[in-house]
Amino acid sequence: MVALASSMNSTFPRMLLQHSRTRPNAPAMREKNLGIWQTFTWVDTLERVRALAGGLAALGFKRGDNLAIIGENRPQLYWAMMAAQALGGVPVPFYQDGIASEMKIVLEEAGIQFAVVEDQEQVDKLLEILTDLPAIKHVAFDDPRGLRHYQQPQLVNLDSLCDLGREYAKSHPDFFEKSVEQGRADDVAVMLYTSGTTGAPKGVCQTHAALIATAEVLREFDNLNADDNVLCYLPMAWVGDFLYSFALTHVAGFCLNCPESPETVLTDMKEIGPSFYFAPPRVYENILTQVMIRIEDASTIKRKLFHYFMGVAKRVGMKILDAKSTGVNNVSLWDRMLYKLGEILIYGPLKNVLGMSRVRVAYTGGEAIGPDLFDFYRSLGINLKQLYGMTETCVTVAMQRSGEVKLDTVGKPMPGVTVKIAASGEVLVLSPGMMKEYYKKPADTAEVIDENGYFRTGDAGFFDPDGHLKIIDRAKDVGRLKDGTLFAPKYLENKLKFFPHVKEAVAFGDKSDNATAMINIDMAAVGDWAERRNLGYAGYADLAAKTDVYELIRDCVAKVNFDLASDPNLCGSQIKRFVILHKELDADDGELTRTRKVRRRVIGEKYAKIIDALYSLDESVLIEAQMKFEDGRVGIVKATLKIEDVKTFTPAEAASSAKKAA
Amino acid sequence: MSARKIGEVILKVEEISLAFGGVQALSNISFDVREHEVRAIIGPNGAGKSSMLNVINGVYHPQKGSVTFKGEKRAQMDPHKVASQGVARTFQNIALFKGMSVLDNLMTGRTLMMKSNLFQQAFYWGAVQREEIKHRERVEEIIDFLEIQSIRKTPVGRLPYGLQKRVELGRALAAEPTLLLLDEPMAGMNVEEKQDMCRFVLDVNEEFGTTIVLIEHDMGVVMDISDRVVVLDYGKKIGDGSPDDVRNNQAVIDAYLGVAH
Amino acid sequence: MGSFIEVVLGGLMAGLLYSLVALGFVLIFKASGVFNFAQGAMVLLAALAFARFSEVMPMPLAFILAALVMVLVAFMIEKLVLRHLVNQEGIILFLATFGITYFIEGAGQLIFGSDIYRIDLGLPKEPKIILESTFDGGILISIEDLVAAAVAGFLVLLLALFFQKTSTGRALRAVADDHQAAQSIGIPLNRIWVIVWSVSGFVALIAGMIWGSKLGVQFSLALVALKAIPVVILGGFTSVPGAILGGLIIGVGEKLAEVYLGPIIGGGIENWFAYALALMFLLFRPEGLFGERHIDRV
Repeated sequence: MVALASSMNSTFPRMLLQHSRTRPNAPAMREKNLGIWQTFTWVDTLERVRALAGGLAALGFKRGDNLAIIGENRPQLYWAMMAAQALGGVPVPFYQDGIASEMKIVLEEAGIQFAVVEDQEQVDKLLEILTDLPAIKHVAFDDPRGLRHYQQPQLVNLDSLCDLGREYAKSHPDFFEKSVEQGRADDVAVMLYTSGTTGAPKGVCQTHAALIATAEVLREFDNLNADDNVLCYLPMAWVGDFLYSFALTHVAGFCLNCPESPETVLTDMKEIGPSFYFAPPRVYENILTQVMIRIEDASTIKRKLFHYFMGVAKRVGMKILDAKSTGVNNVSLWDRMLYKLGEILIYGPLKNVLGMSRVRVAYTGGEAIGPDLFDFYRSLGINLKQLYGMTETCVTVAMQRSGEVKLDTVGKPMPGVTVKIAASGEVLVLSPGMMKEYYKKPADTAEVIDENGYFRTGDAGFFDPDGHLKIIDRAKDVGRLKDGTLFAPKYLENKLKFFPHVKEAVAFGDKSDNATAMINIDMAAVGDWAERRNLGYAGYADLAAKTDVYELIRDCVAKVNFDLASDPNLCGSQIKRFVILHKELDADDGELTRTRKVRRRVIGEKYAKIIDALYSLDESVLIEAQMKFEDGRVGIVKATLKIEDVKTFTPAEAASSAKKAA
Repeated sequence: MSARKIGEVILKVEEISLAFGGVQALSNISFDVREHEVRAIIGPNGAGKSSMLNVINGVYHPQKGSVTFKGEKRAQMDPHKVASQGVARTFQNIALFKGMSVLDNLMTGRTLMMKSNLFQQAFYWGAVQREEIKHRERVEEIIDFLEIQSIRKTPVGRLPYGLQKRVELGRALAAEPTLLLLDEPMAGMNVEEKQDMCRFVLDVNEEFGTTIVLIEHDMGVVMDISDRVVVLDYGKKIGDGSPDDVRNNQAVIDAYLGVAH
Repeated sequence: MGSFIEVVLGGLMAGLLYSLVALGFVLIFKASGVFNFAQGAMVLLAALAFARFSEVMPMPLAFILAALVMVLVAFMIEKLVLRHLVNQEGIILFLATFGITYFIEGAGQLIFGSDIYRIDLGLPKEPKIILESTFDGGILISIEDLVAAAVAGFLVLLLALFFQKTSTGRALRAVADDHQAAQSIGIPLNRIWVIVWSVSGFVALIAGMIWGSKLGVQFSLALVALKAIPVVILGGFTSVPGAILGGLIIGVGEKLAEVYLGPIIGGGIENWFAYALALMFLLFRPEGLFGERHIDRV
């Protein structure tokens, strides 16, 4: 482990200086360039950061200035962040795929004068809006390709900027150290704009102290140390990357590896073999899908072997994984031997292909993860865990401890973090990683931080009997049934959507007697299912109305109810009745947002008749709906939809069969 | 558009006539190509564009006329010799080695620059490896240039069509040609792939200074990226000049009338 | 148990030699799409040349000279036959190799004589008994076979390196993949063919030396090559590992069948076992163990 002086009062630039003094030749960063991994030691890193800082200083960058960073995860951009911090400035990373008009808002608000960008693509974007942003004086670019003939006076090659900096250092010896000396732990270390799903984007200002304290906790939590390896491929503007890549490389001293290009991440993973991995559920899902596709293409023997051993893994893999942390072993010798054999034949090679052979801890967060997905990784022996947090709290509100992993919680609150549940059900957080403020938005800041210093997360949740935090929905969407039971529509919908046969679900129940649901089947999955049982159908509406399909979906809903029954807080919100919609909810019809989120209000109005029927005793409902065809014509669809009741369970029933299963 | 310097005439085609049996594929065609320029040959289907490219490439031997490349007037030549003079090409129907990786395909593009022979390969392993590494470095630059890092080790046969076209361009570039012949580089592509390909063609021209002769059936794309355009129709030259000149040329308009685009 | 292992080992040794001949087939088939019926004749010629040269000169020199003879043969085949049959149907090229077969057999015996010649590589002929402590009576093993196996293994390794790691090897793979594309980027087809036939001649030389030292150099050596045909069917026409594995399977299979099935259904199984196995493969897995599956899209 790296011995660092008390990190109290420390800043990232001070840590950089310290690393380059105490372990100068340890690798700090790697980048794959022209097919070869190039390593930069801490001394190399310091030299480049110093040159960059000199260059920026020579151009007039001063304490308190903001530096825009735009591009993919490149060492040069991380160095630019470090350089800005060394000069007492604040790096402001941007999402590399943001469009110019969105960037403009932030560039303007942050008063950006200096930007360091990756390549022509980003330069073009800035040039597009440059006339509206007279404040921007200098744009330094890393990759000169295609930029040779650009004449704009603002543009400067990053290499020339470094040369300028080296000259500057000659006439200003010690400028770097002096500037770092002046930095204070409660200076803002980075400004991270939250993507702004609600309202305008807000710049979250995080101090060195908050970030370093959080990173220390993370380091201890999973025993991260200088020998770990991390592949940084998530957007630099995302708090997850800043914390797990930038902050932790400083605090734990491990090496950051930048992928060759966004498309090569899987290959790069395989070559680097990271020991620590973080990704949103979507990424895990994509990987699993790719694996499955390749398995289906494999030879019969391989496929059979795979399915057999995945069965073994599903049965005992997770128990074996948990036993590693808890020491409790309840797997028979035979099963353990089978699992070992599977490790040699299937799991090992598979993890190698995924680049996860050396992953000690893997995290996911941001949204709920499906049980199949979660179990798949854990049964392979990959220690996948969930965490909960947001930009404003340096993520790290709650995390699952190894050996204490549950599918539908996010673990216990982290050391030093206090979590309260407000009367409304909203989760409130007091954390050492609390942001300083929203940049230039005191009103917004005051709104989210209450008088006691708690951050209002906007999420609704509660603690389960083991003290794990369970997040169920956005607080504003959570309602109550008439009897006062908590009703969390998104929680129910997610549970339904985790079934491959359910594509979309909308739950109702606020201020009603019970919960009901409207369901879209997954055309591909259910179609496939129908074909395998020789069930003919003429299209979506026809398939959706089949009795067999209703039965299939009713089983799914019943399973959800069963799960809910074992949760005292949510037992009352079991789904009593459901309907399978005659058409797929569509963004073109305004029923979904472009990112495929359900527009509750629109649906509530449009399908009022169905909702009424769900709460009546009718067994069917006749509806007419307007529908846009692909060619833009508008037509009316008429259909009679069946409404079916679903079995519900009492907590006792759930508990007794859970015991039987065990 | 750019500050590229267009130089002297590098390729001169004079009074070329080519017939297959009784069919006159090309009659009396003359034009020239200047160093560092992007020169397009366009025309409706069956206009003789591919024949023209094959004459420059040495695949066809014209009955009449001559080709002068880098000041050297050619009578008959075979493609192998033309290649060693610094001319590389791509094909309308991709001609890659489907079972080999992208990397290997690009490395075969360096064949002409490989100096070691079989004997040396058997006995001077070290020296040969050094040469191999040198070539590999160059090929990696092209991989980086064409942004195909992620498919380096993928067998070409598994790639989608658009990417295969890009790999084929890469293999031609691996030969470090002074003159690059592109046979319908955008054929069969969707709009996005076409835009990508246009960008790569322009980048090649700009970054490496490669002179480019490209054939296209579709007028639209070519006009935007070419410095000068030759228009063929039924084996005859009906226009030659800047894209604007050609666009306003009545003969060209007539030739393209009735041809659906 | 001991005798079973003996039979398997004996089969592996014999199989390895089938593999060597099959390797020659596969190399040529991959690079030029020619099913070279003359491979057996080449084995005979190489063995003849080596046997006769070694009578009058030291063995290494004889080896080099014999190898040069094979290169010369490759050169002439390209010059006199292949060059004139470019882009002809596979069947025509196949028939041409029939002609080559007779020519090589005739010319070889004309030049080098048609008696039975011996090749003495100086290896101990008497078998050794090993693992006496493990099995009752131990296992009888021939040192000569072991050396032969080692040589064959080394040759395969060398070929793999050559194909994967050298630029000529890459050019060979390119030609094997697509003749026309290879030509268009400046890979000289003619030279590649000479190289492939030379390499395959070299493999034939090694096979001929080993067979020759076991059985004596005589006309029947050319017939050994026939056994290589089921081997390539089993392994797939385009697969080097397939040729090796196929050879081993057939070698072991026919020995086991002879020893254990022979008493039941009568002897001589060795003579037809390979063909029966190949027939099964043609029926159920025509692409062989490792061959490329060929699917005609409709």
